[in-house]
Amino acid sequence: MADKVIYAMYDDDDTTKDAAQHFVDKGVHVSEVYSPFPIHGIDPIIGVEQSRLGIVAFMFGLTGLAVAMIGIRYMNIIDWPMNIGGKPNFDFFHNMPSFVPVMFEFTVLIAAHGMAFTYLLRNKTLPGMPARNPDPRTTDDRFVIELRLEDNHNFSVDDLLSMAKQTNIVELEEKTIK
Amino acid sequence: MGFQISDKAKKVFFGLIGVGLVLLVAGLFTQTKFLFPHLDEDHPNDLEVVSYAEDLDDYSEDLVALKEEVKNALGDGYIITISEGEHGHEAHKGGEHVEEGHEAKPSTHHGPRLLWNIHISKTSGASHDESAHDAGAHSEHGNSNIKHGHHDASPAALLAGMFESGTLALPDHGFRRFWSNLLINGFFFMGIALGAMFYIALHYATESGWGVVLLRIFESVAGAIPFGMVLLLIVFIAATLGFNSIYPWMDKDIVAHDALIQGKTGYLNPTFFWIRIACYFSLFFIFINWLKKTSKREDAEGGVDLHYKMYRKSAFFIVGFAVFSSTMSWDIIMSIDTHWFSTLFGWYTFSGMWLTGMITIMMVTIYLKSKGAVEFVNENHIHDVAKWVFALSFLWSYLWFSQFMLIWYSNIPEEVTYFEYRFDSYKYVFFTMFVVNFILPMVLFMSRDTKRSWPYLITISLIIFVGHWFDVFCMVMPGTLFEEWEFGMLEIGMFMASLGGFVLLIFNGLSKAPLIQKNHPFLEESKHHEF
Repeated sequence: MADKVIYAMYDDDDTTKDAAQHFVDKGVHVSEVYSPFPIHGIDPIIGVEQSRLGIVAFMFGLTGLAVAMIGIRYMNIIDWPMNIGGKPNFDFFHNMPSFVPVMFEFTVLIAAHGMAFTYLLRNKTLPGMPARNPDPRTTDDRFVIELRLEDNHNFSVDDLLSMAKQTNIVELEEKTIK
Repeated sequence: MGFQISDKAKKVFFGLIGVGLVLLVAGLFTQTKFLFPHLDEDHPNDLEVVSYAEDLDDYSEDLVALKEEVKNALGDGYIITISEGEHGHEAHKGGEHVEEGHEAKPSTHHGPRLLWNIHISKTSGASHDESAHDAGAHSEHGNSNIKHGHHDASPAALLAGMFESGTLALPDHGFRRFWSNLLINGFFFMGIALGAMFYIALHYATESGWGVVLLRIFESVAGAIPFGMVLLLIVFIAATLGFNSIYPWMDKDIVAHDALIQGKTGYLNPTFFWIRIACYFSLFFIFINWLKKTSKREDAEGGVDLHYKMYRKSAFFIVGFAVFSSTMSWDIIMSIDTHWFSTLFGWYTFSGMWLTGMITIMMVTIYLKSKGAVEFVNENHIHDVAKWVFALSFLWSYLWFSQFMLIWYSNIPEEVTYFEYRFDSYKYVFFTMFVVNFILPMVLFMSRDTKRSWPYLITISLIIFVGHWFDVFCMVMPGTLFEEWEFGMLEIGMFMASLGGFVLLIFNGLSKAPLIQKNHPFLEESKHHEF
């Protein structure tokens, strides 16, 4: 089913925020906002849910810690115990303090990389993936609010266009997507 | 003018002081002096008892009484003979843990040491002579006899247990526990104020905006610094005059026999010590009072001139604080264990101070918010303070562990004794303190929801707060009371009394000025702080 989309373009983050507020006040659902940088305070206006990235980061951290502990235990205790400075090398627990830096770094490594890749994957912005922003200028100095007709059954295209014209737009575009 | 504390709350805190003082006095009169038993597996009928009293002459009467008590401790079935002896090498051959114990003991122990060799024999088996422990056969015979008796454990172990639990102990006439506790509480509560003071300076020097609505609370917490200072000054004056022996390097007799301390006298001598203490205390005192005065002037005059003045002075203060916070912790705490040194120690104590400072700020803010006195503070400000508590817990754990791991790994005798001593005699309090202060905030303050829930914040923060009191406890006690530490009415009482006094001083500060700095340039930003 073909769907109509309206792109309203702005040149300032504050006017974008005000415009988003304007749409939401009228009962319009804002589908997406494209911007070159994160706009402070726009999330609650357009109703973006709390990110679950923190939970993912915690799980990646636990994974990293577990992998580090298993790896160290196998390498330095079971397979090839090394006598460094006469430290106990017969079990993991008694030699644990010397491994804490490695365990810590590995936790951070896995948590950070896992979080970054999860973020890119979830947003479908991994390197090489096709760009999904409606206009290349939204990576530079323009801000675009996307309104889908599909999400706003109570409004016609003309309603939405006239509403957009009440805000400080710099460009307005209407598209049909399949 | 400012926030007036309700009469009810005032009564609570004065009650806290009162109950604390009662406990303190009760604790002073019931404090005991421990004697340490060493069991020898090869001689199950013998027990060696050591005490580290610095001046045994004071105890001569009590010792006679205790001797009688020991002789009757096991009942009629046994004859206990006590011989006082020099610490001969024969006495503890084969008793490995005895030797370990002596190695772990810091050499700051000095003066006469009591040593009792206790021999136990059974009355019914008339054939046991006093020298039974020389012959292995006799010894085993005696052992089997004893096993047929009423007790499951050997009588020597039973007796050792009585010594360890303090059932058999001397009443302590010295005030070492009192002075050590005064030092702990003085340093702990001065640290809280100092942490808050550092944070104000940081807030001004970085021109932060978020916390402007909290600045008056910061000021009041930091302004309560004289409380800790006075407690510490009492300890220092008493130490200099020889009323307590917290700082071994202040005692000329010890220094004369100690090459390691002699090498440090260039820095650790009473004159220079007092010069430094005067520098620290006057800097802290003058800075916070100047800041309070200037922010009040800003309220009246407005403009940005005074703001920039505070900004510049704060930056200078941080430079001075960077040096002084380290040297101060060396002087006040690290020099107790005079032989030991650690360059990380300053940061480690500083991180603890900063953390407890943030916790106190949070508690006061939550209290004021619940009373409706600070409507301009929203949940985002408290969330931010909670983030600091979370982050600083990590900083503290990180520094604790860094200090521990480097010493553990290099295993140099003069460094490692510090931790060996804590592992041997302070095991449970030392490790529980670390685990609680590290794991609890890490797991429970990680999520956003707990940082915004008051019941969570209050419960966990107060646990960590007490945990950091125990951190200071573990810094001080092993160097002043050695194995003879106790945790009882004296500790609890003094902590309660100090807490009550400190909180009342904070509320006194809050009552002196309006709770908002109305002409601060970043006030609007702070009021709308949100994320």
